[in-house]
Amino acid sequence: MTQIAEPGTKTTTTIVTRVRDRARTMPDAVAMREKDFGIWQEVPWSDYWDKIELVGHALLALGVRPGDRVAIQSENRREWLYTDLATVAVRAMTVGLYPTNPASEVAYLLAHSGSKVLLAEDQEQVDKVLAVLDQLPELERIVYLEPRGIRRRYDNPKLLFWEDLLAMGAEHREAHPRAVEETMSQARADDIMTLVYTSGTTGPPKGAMLSVANVEFSVETLIESGGFTSPPPSTDDIMLSYLPLCHVAERIFTTWFNSSAGVQVNFAESIATVQPNLREIQPTILFGVPRIWEKVLAGVNIKIASASPAKRALARFWLKVADGIGDTLVRTGGKHTPGTRLRYALGYLFLYRALRDRIGMRKVRYAASGAAPIAPDVLKFFMGIGVPMHEVYGMTENSAIATANRPGRVKLGTVGEPHPGVDLRIDEETGEILTRHAGVFAGYWRDEEATAKAVDEQGWLHTGDVGVWVDDTHVRITDRMKDIIITAGGKNVAPSEIENALKVSPYIKEAVVIGDKRPYLTALIGVELETVGEWAQRKRIPYTTYRDLSERPEVDKLVQGIVDDVNKKFATVEQIKKFRMLPKELDHEDGELTATQKVKRSALGKLFDDLVESMYAKGGGA
Amino acid sequence: MTEQRSTSVSTKASRQLWGRPELYTSYGQNLRMLNTRPKQVAVVAMVLLAATYVPFGLPDEWLHLFAMGLAAAIGAIGLNIVTGYAGQVSLGHAFFLAIGAYTASALSGEPGRRTIGFGITFLPLWLLAAGVVAGVAGVIVAPLATRLRGLYLAIVTLGLVFLGLHIFKEWKALTGGPGVGRQGPVPEMFGQRLDRNGDLLTGDQKMYLLTLVLLVIFAVFARNLVRSKVGRAFAAVRDRDIAADVIGVSVTRYKVLAFGISSFYAGCAGALLYAVLGRVEPDSFNLLLSIQFVAMVLIGGAGTISGSIMGALFITMLPRLTQELPTVLPFISSDVTAPLGAANLAIIFYGLMIILFLIFEPRGLFGIWIRIRNYFKAWPFSY
Repeated sequence: MTQIAEPGTKTTTTIVTRVRDRARTMPDAVAMREKDFGIWQEVPWSDYWDKIELVGHALLALGVRPGDRVAIQSENRREWLYTDLATVAVRAMTVGLYPTNPASEVAYLLAHSGSKVLLAEDQEQVDKVLAVLDQLPELERIVYLEPRGIRRRYDNPKLLFWEDLLAMGAEHREAHPRAVEETMSQARADDIMTLVYTSGTTGPPKGAMLSVANVEFSVETLIESGGFTSPPPSTDDIMLSYLPLCHVAERIFTTWFNSSAGVQVNFAESIATVQPNLREIQPTILFGVPRIWEKVLAGVNIKIASASPAKRALARFWLKVADGIGDTLVRTGGKHTPGTRLRYALGYLFLYRALRDRIGMRKVRYAASGAAPIAPDVLKFFMGIGVPMHEVYGMTENSAIATANRPGRVKLGTVGEPHPGVDLRIDEETGEILTRHAGVFAGYWRDEEATAKAVDEQGWLHTGDVGVWVDDTHVRITDRMKDIIITAGGKNVAPSEIENALKVSPYIKEAVVIGDKRPYLTALIGVELETVGEWAQRKRIPYTTYRDLSERPEVDKLVQGIVDDVNKKFATVEQIKKFRMLPKELDHEDGELTATQKVKRSALGKLFDDLVESMYAKGGGA
Repeated sequence: MTEQRSTSVSTKASRQLWGRPELYTSYGQNLRMLNTRPKQVAVVAMVLLAATYVPFGLPDEWLHLFAMGLAAAIGAIGLNIVTGYAGQVSLGHAFFLAIGAYTASALSGEPGRRTIGFGITFLPLWLLAAGVVAGVAGVIVAPLATRLRGLYLAIVTLGLVFLGLHIFKEWKALTGGPGVGRQGPVPEMFGQRLDRNGDLLTGDQKMYLLTLVLLVIFAVFARNLVRSKVGRAFAAVRDRDIAADVIGVSVTRYKVLAFGISSFYAGCAGALLYAVLGRVEPDSFNLLLSIQFVAMVLIGGAGTISGSIMGALFITMLPRLTQELPTVLPFISSDVTAPLGAANLAIIFYGLMIILFLIFEPRGLFGIWIRIRNYFKAWPFSY
């Protein structure tokens, strides 16, 4: 290892200096794990810092200068973090791309950000960028991690293998041993650290610039002072990293929790293996998007339904008890009463311990849901079985700092209270939520106009979410401002509430409520292939494809039952009068979903125009 | 870089996170024989119970029976290796038991008597010799198995039993002849006769503890063998020898090896069994003995080590249990020669048990245990 800057020299604290300091104080402790050939390979802090420094040197050797952009398109893995932190070390900006981004979006993101270097995980990602290389004059190097299918087959001079990059770094370190340290010591609080591209449900993605100061404020508020967890995270905490790292939420929970609090990060093998990986890792802190929690809930219901009669009866009984515990917890804000403690202790013996073990949440001390609205019933289920669940709210543009439900003060259906040190108000006219604090982003990359629209002169960030105060302490979000439906009758309806109520059912994967300037509400519904497929098998309904299954009259009846149940909870104007089944599973590649699996409403309305119109046609079928 | 990674992994192999049994951070941890806490606790508790309560809490009559059961378990493990793991059905196990028993008897027998004896009474020596001689015999017989399969192999190994029976009846200098027999192997260690009452322990207690220690050694060795490269090759040969050949498993080599190891186990078991019994009679190495061992394997569970032990104990205890039957069920005669007598009943039981287990629980007693375990392992789901 090279010499390290003298402690005491005043430098700006960044996530990289934090890792460096940790490597000094606890070199042998585990920083992260990744599964390789069936074994969770451990990376100690000393190795972690060594790799960051090495990649930092390599980036310098490649000619990356402060302010340059380094893009990463890869699944979550060690090299993502090495490159991300090395980029920060050399004062460049990290641009995260979703592994699912198709070539056209890769072209847009790389061209718009003007990235100089791209880290592409494997042949799939390399192929995408090679296909659009002529649109990317600023891209100088493509570093690939998996040589399979690339090495000795592709001869593009821009390609560079990861190991060769490390060798370059080692050479550079030999020649200029203190180059990375020196660049790090020049870091300033207003350096832009990363560009986080928003998912873009309506237009092309916009690159939000987060500065070192933004991130430090976020670390201070959310992690060090325990804005989420209580007590604050420590080196004993264990996380599973499985959501895309280019999203600000996963960046917080993986990179920032790891570097600032020393939380051990474990990389899931892929999004498909999250369930088994959760069981192996049994994390103590778990963040999920609504889709994940809905899927776990659906899985539990389906597996209990197909269990042997004795087990089924027992599980149903104790789940009912859990429901009661959940109700009480909702009333008390998440604090146990002697009654719930007793019931929980008994249920723990019979069901909750085993169930939580099976879904990999036996050791979870803090669970959070965010990034999209979720139905309260889903959260209540997890609270009932003993997973302390908290809904949190934030967005890229305010470094994910806005509100959170604090342990012991949970209000279901709200996104919680504003963090200390955060100014949050709700606009009297529009109902829009505005935030102001040190975490408000530095603006959109190369987009002055959008920046001016998002942040006003007084420094208030316009979130685009409509909300109301609950009991003057908690905030409840109604919907995205541009999603609010105004029916032909002039009623304002928040579609996401209805959609999430539908998605509580294990059989429904997608629900899109339609009704803007229409006489009544309708919905496009996509079933969950796995659960409905199993249901059909149990009912002995034959089917071939997703489309065939969706169009079965029995399935239609099943969904009708769910819709009817949901309708009972809503006022007449908010009820779904008709629905149609989506004939295909929505997909990112087909432009129906964003990279974060959010439905692009406008695109969907156009794609399934005939289905929508058939619901409003005079005398159209029920 | 690879080098650096492997060293950093190996230094931390001992660190395991509490309460996360499925989180493997090193191959060593992954390969551990007792890989979960409950397994460790249960096995240690069982061995402790067998080593303390059983020898000092049960009457000697039972200990004698247990010692026989434990010795038989070694033989059953041997048969399970060749039949359960390598898939070569052998009815010739009695022949190898006999070779072991006579090798040990001859080595430890008193010189200058009616039957051959060399006076080497040191137990480890004659036990090893018994195993090696039987093992060599197994290797000699093994080429048959490379030519024959399934039923044909069973018939040929059956022939071995009759061949052996004839030789042992006629070779009076070694065996003492039918109806007479000779003294079994003399278990002696460091000047101590293990089958005679001593100052501290009775003969039965000593023999029981001896067989227990040996069984643990043999069982651990077998368990490690079957989860090694060799064990996987055995399973490949069992499942389909042609496919095994195609993926690079030398079928001949592993069949010979399976027979060799199995016969080694049988030889040791034979020597021990007759050291416990005290007398060897050539007529006892008949087809029934082979069938009893097949029953141990099938009832215990083919392809499992712990199943072999369960099966061996069960089959050894069975005659004792059927002896108790006449007191409960008056229509069963305690007369040995009666058609429905206790002795015949035991034989009927073997057949019945084999048939019932093959139909209803092909994985044997071990399979029943697995079923119970999986029921609670999958809790609260069914899979």
